[in-house]
Amino acid sequence: MLALADPTRRAILQRLGSGEARVTELAAPFAMSLNAVSKHIRVLERAELVSRRRAGREHFLSLNPKPLDEAAAWIDEQRRFWTQSLDALERALAEHED
Amino acid sequence: MSGAPAIRVEHRFSVSPERVFDAWLDPVWIGRFIFGAHLRDEQVVSLENDPRVGGAFHYKVTRGGIEIDHTGTYREIERPRRLVFTWGVDAEQGDLSVVTISFAPDGDGCLLTLTHKLHPDWAEYAERTQAGWTKIVGDLAGAL
Repeated sequence: MLALADPTRRAILQRLGSGEARVTELAAPFAMSLNAVSKHIRVLERAELVSRRRAGREHFLSLNPKPLDEAAAWIDEQRRFWTQSLDALERALAEHED
Repeated sequence: MSGAPAIRVEHRFSVSPERVFDAWLDPVWIGRFIFGAHLRDEQVVSLENDPRVGGAFHYKVTRGGIEIDHTGTYREIERPRRLVFTWGVDAEQGDLSVVTISFAPDGDGCLLTLTHKLHPDWAEYAERTQAGWTKIVGDLAGAL
């Protein structure tokens, strides 16, 4: 989640939303060195938000949809958790007529 | 459809809003309805809170030998109408999501509505990326 906290990284993800891109293409809109952009890309790769494909000497980057599946899993888990808690609260209120 | 991925659950109780509200800030009650071996396969380590705006809570349990600290900070405490707190697992994720609970009088009881929203960064991220990803968020919003 911390990978999303940075505006440059969110802009990179936004660009990759319209298709895969070379590192140089990703770096072009930013007023920063290729090396600095590469560091942001590595953060996104470590967070498994972005994957890398090598074709000869070229490196292509693309979005990895897996983390959003994890967001969907989070939603399911939280819904179950709170539904279960509210059912338990009703039982506890019935048992403890304070 | 804008806004962070969120869940929303409702539950009607046959007791007053005050009684339902108070359960959310009392560690004894937290151990009755949110955490405990009677609810799932876990053991409570400690349930501690500082129930004032800006105060924190730490609800520690072990599951499968791993200690998990459910932690967050109280943002709004308006007895008996509204309670807002952040919610996450372990300190660095403590502000990852926000839980908002409203307690509305309903006849001789109370209607509780709980929403749990992921951090807005998720929403911004999802809205700006490809359609397939946006669809997932749309499905979630549609499920509300």
